[in-house]
Formats: sequence, C-alpha cells, structure tokens
Amino acid sequence: MSIDIAPILKMLVFPGGLTLLALGLLYEYIDRKLVARFQNRVGPRVLQPLADTIKLLAKEEVIPQGVIPLFFVSLPVVALAGVLTAGLYIPMAGLAPAYSLPGDLIITVFLLGLLTLCIGLAGANTADRFSLVGATRTLTQLFSYEAPFLLALLCPAILADSWQISVVHRSVLGHVWMALPMAIGFFVAVIGLMGKLELAPFDAPEAESEIVAGALTEYSGRGLALFRLGKDVALVLGITLVAAFYLGGLANPLEFLLKTLGLLVLVAALQALFARLRIDQTVGLWWRIGALLALVQLLIVVLLKGVIL
Amino acid sequence: MTGVQKEKFIIPIGPQHPALKEPAHFEFTVDGEMVTSASVRFGYVHRGLEKGAENRNWAQALYLLERVCGICSHAHSTVYALGVERLAGVSAPPRAQAIRQILLELERIHSHMLWVGVAAHEAGFETLFMYSWRDRETVMDILESFTGNRVNYSANTLGGVKYDLGPQQSDSILRGLDSLEKRLHYYLKVVTNDESFLRRTRGLGTMTVEQADALGAIGPTARASGVTRDLRVDSPYLMYADFPIHVITDTAGDLQARFVVRIKELFESARNIRTAMEHLPEGELAVRFPRKVRAGEVVSRIEAPRGGLFYFIKSDGGENPVRVKVRTPSLRNFMSVLVGSVGRQLADVPMILSGIDPCFSCNDRAVIVRRDGVPATEFNPRKESASQSKS
Repeated sequence: MSIDIAPILKMLVFPGGLTLLALGLLYEYIDRKLVARFQNRVGPRVLQPLADTIKLLAKEEVIPQGVIPLFFVSLPVVALAGVLTAGLYIPMAGLAPAYSLPGDLIITVFLLGLLTLCIGLAGANTADRFSLVGATRTLTQLFSYEAPFLLALLCPAILADSWQISVVHRSVLGHVWMALPMAIGFFVAVIGLMGKLELAPFDAPEAESEIVAGALTEYSGRGLALFRLGKDVALVLGITLVAAFYLGGLANPLEFLLKTLGLLVLVAALQALFARLRIDQTVGLWWRIGALLALVQLLIVVLLKGVIL
Repeated sequence: MTGVQKEKFIIPIGPQHPALKEPAHFEFTVDGEMVTSASVRFGYVHRGLEKGAENRNWAQALYLLERVCGICSHAHSTVYALGVERLAGVSAPPRAQAIRQILLELERIHSHMLWVGVAAHEAGFETLFMYSWRDRETVMDILESFTGNRVNYSANTLGGVKYDLGPQQSDSILRGLDSLEKRLHYYLKVVTNDESFLRRTRGLGTMTVEQADALGAIGPTARASGVTRDLRVDSPYLMYADFPIHVITDTAGDLQARFVVRIKELFESARNIRTAMEHLPEGELAVRFPRKVRAGEVVSRIEAPRGGLFYFIKSDGGENPVRVKVRTPSLRNFMSVLVGSVGRQLADVPMILSGIDPCFSCNDRAVIVRRDGVPATEFNPRKESASQSKS
C-alpha cells in the first residue's frame, strides 16, 4: 500500500501550510518595521511576530460569558483554514499554483473574504459593546471594498479570457506590466487590498481610540493568535495576487520576492501617510469613487478588447 | 425587560479605555454610529491635594500643588506663589518674574505640542503623533538643562525662583526655539492642508462665540471660537505688561481652528520668550519670605496652557494655608464636549474630547454638598464634624 504524500506536502509545507505562515510572519514584520521607520519609531525585531504568536498560543483562552462557545472557538480556525486554502490557488513564489481550476479567482477572493466574515461574526457573537460596534464596522467595510477589489482583479482576467488564476498569470507573463496600461485598476486593487486587511487608514473597524480592539476585543490566547496569523497570511496572499496580476507576473522566486516586497513598501508608505477614515467616509469613498473607478477601468478593458480583437 | 421601550445602546468610555490617558467615565448613548446623548463622571483620581495643602506650611504646599498637573506644573506653582506673595505683601524681583514667565511660555510650548500629538493619535494619524512628540523633545531638553527636570521643574520658590538664566542656557533656548519654529510651520501646514486629516477635524465640535460663552469655555478652546479672552492680556501678571503677547483667535470654532490657534500661540510664545530674554532684568533671584503669612484671602489667576487657572488662597495668619481652592481650566471646557458630541458620529467623539485638551486628574476635587440648609460661607472642614456628606 502506498500513500501519495505529494498533496499532503502541498497542503502542509509548500505552497500552503508552513510556508504561508512563515511568509505571513515575515511580511508582518517587514510591514510593521517599515511603518515604524516612516513614523520615526524603532519598530519590532525580526522574530517579534513569531514571539507574539507563540506567546498568544501558550496563553489561556478566556471564553467570555454570553457567547456561543462553539462559534467562539471555531471561527478563528475556520478563518485561518480559509486563507490557508486560498494559498493553494495562488502562484506562490512564482511557481505554478498547487491546484488550479476554472473560476478559482472567485474562490480565492471568497476565501480571503471569509476571514473578514469570520472576524465580523466573532465580534457579533460576543456581548461586548466594543465588539458589536467593531463587528458592524468590519462587515460594513467588507461590503464596501469587496466589489471594487474584485472588479479590479477582473480587469486582467477579462483580457486573458479566463477566471482561472494560473491562466491569467501565464497571460500577463512577459508582457508589459498591467499596472501601466491599467493604472486605475492597479490603484483600486492596492487600496482595496488595504481595506481588506484593515490597514491604516482603513482601520476604523479596530480604531483603538474609539472601540478598543473592535470585533476581536474579547479574544485572547489561541483565538487571537489564529486570527492574527490569518491576517498575516491574507496580507501575503493579497499582495501576491495583485503583484501576479498587475506587476507583470511572478516568473521565479526572486521576482516574487522583489515584486511583493516592492508592493509591501508601497502599502506601508500609504499606511503612514493618512489619518484614519471614519467608517462612513470609508464607505462613501468606496462606493462613490472606488467602485466608479473600477467600473471605468472595466469599461475601458472591455472596449479596448472589442476594438483590438 | 418590557421589550416595548427601545433599548438604549450605551458605549462606555472609561474609566479604563485606550482613548483616555487618565481615568474618567463617559457614557455615550448611540443609535448605530450616531451619538444621541452623553454624560460624564469624574472623581477617579481625587488625590486630596487641597486638603493636603492645608496640612503643610506655605513653602511645602508649593511643592505639593506643583504636582496637581503633570503637564502644566509650573503654571500651578506660579499661580500659587503669586497668590501667596500677594497675601504676604512680598514681591518677587523682576528677574525672577521674567524667568517665571519664560518658563511658563516654554511649558506652553511643550503642552501644546504634546496635545498636537495626542489629538493626531485620536484621529489615527500616528505619523503626526510620532513626529510632534519627537520635536517636543527639543523643548523638554531645554527645560531639563534649565532646571534639571523634564516635568515638575521646581523652579519657583516663595519670593522668587531658584534657577538663573545664564548665557549658556540662553543660547540653548534660542537655538531650540529656532528649530522648533521651523517644525511648527510644518505642522501648521499639515493641520491646514492634509486632506485626510482635515476630513477628521474640519467642522467638528463647532462652537460659535455665543455657545462658547454660554458653555463657559476658556483657553485655546474658547479662543478658537473667537472669544478674545486671555488672562495674559486681560489682567497681566508677572512681566506680561512689559512683554505683551497678542491674543490668537479664530472664527471657525471647530477642531481645525483649535489646532491652528494652539500652533499659532506657540509662535507667539516663542516671540515672547525671545523678548523676555533680550530684556531680562538684572538683579536678585529671590527675596526673603516670612514663615507666617498675614491673615486674608486672595484670588490668583494665570493663563495656563489650557486656559485660565484659578486659585483661592486663605490665610489666618499662621504657618499653613487655611484653604486652597483650585479650579483647573479643563473643568470649564467639559460641557462643550458633552454638547458637541450629540448628533456626531462615535468616531468623532475621541476627537471632540481631545479637542479641549482635557486634563482629568487635575480637575478632580471633592465637592461638599450641604443639604441641611447651613450656608457654606465661612465653612472650615477642620472645625466641622467629620460626618459631612461628601460626594
């Protein structure tokens, strides 16, 4: 009897599992360090995110009164599992995705959105008032950036005539960077990514000066560690996806590192540049400007495609 | 649990909350993100400083009262020293008065820059927070090189000051002011031009002149609404008659105006410090001060960074003050927060709150409410029975 260990390795070691977690912690460090240096602070050490995670995992998880314990415990697991699964469809390190099927772009974006959904539900599950307000804001924000972000990712997909990530990725390889002809789409994708990850200035759902830690206020120990890991992984995946679609593809691991890190520098700089937006300002910005820009970009792509082909 | 009444959703802020650096308790009733009513409760850090001052002699009370506020400590010790000196019929030498004034203005710079950082932090603008606190270190270093301390300088003594302003300190102050002014111009540009920041400050917590007067607002909060009230001009103390300042006002009355007014006040402070140092009178630093102060009452007022600071001091001719009443400026500005928050978004509340530059611990006083109809005049807690109801 022989066991095929290739799928298990793919899920647990590369490109899923450990690789994603390690990259997530590394990118969190780089992001925090860059923002700190932009703000004239010292910033964390390399192993700080790992140390935080280990410390949180070792700590007692307090299950507060008034929650449904099953949801409270399982939501972080579902969230992390969702983003780790999403990693299987993405060309990590410039190699072909572990799995590929038609329409996996939609699956990936949904799985990344699952993280936000779980955070929102986790907040709504607790009786804490800060959590409830945070959950409302998280879900409100989810509904505002998700559509423009997806539309922005669809632009290269429409050019490639496929909603399969690996096909789109192959089609942009070797061509001029999509970020140049589709500057609007790239812009919306990057900003949408920041909204998705609740990075400043879109961090109203966890604005500490108003609602402490937002939806995750009641979380401690293991649950918090898993949610944080989930966010770190989502950061890596989101950046990889945008880099793969808009920055001329990721031909090899070196290109992957250079392009994703370059994008991370841009994201970090944007974080340090602005004051936090109120939730109504975020929603207004997305639906009045973000969605409109994404639609304009989509229209341009469709028209150009009709003219050229 | 009637289920008929619409349930109120109350967001408690404090006594322990990341938005508050000191304990106070606010309750905001919200409808969605909209605040529909607000209330405040103080008293978490009542330290019995007034009572403590009664149990110390005149000189010891100076050091106690300097600790009322950790930010405007020199303002507190100066207002007390001025009051007691007036009561005793002693006047500090001109050089001491000028040095006190220079320290007051340096303190204003450090207080306002601290506030710029805190307010930026509440708006989620961490970069401005970090930058303004970095540059604030310049003035902290000046204060440290001058007096040996970063806060609670202990520069005052009854009848004068302890530290002289030598040429070395003058140089470092002038150099520090030059670099500070450059940075302040930059911050003025940021708070008036940065679009994302303006979206959080413009039109927020707006008070008209009438409202500011009706709510009893003072200090930069009131001046941002166009109230021309500044004790440095209205009743000059120390050397403010010789080295006057211009009152900075704005007409907008919103949070942005409070930023602009506070930053512009610092240019005025810097100018005032330079003038005072150029014309620094020669002479003694302190005069002898008697152990006992003759009986009487005095009201002493100065313009602290947050507004008019009020002290009532009473002596019965002994070695201790009989009564010291402290009224800090923050207390007079809280009403504007409660009124200004209603109808605003929850996200704006920390901004409106920080807009008055609140100092909670400073304004916690015990108030004795007498329900038995006995008039509160000539009330001396020491002679009364200990069974008074305190709240």
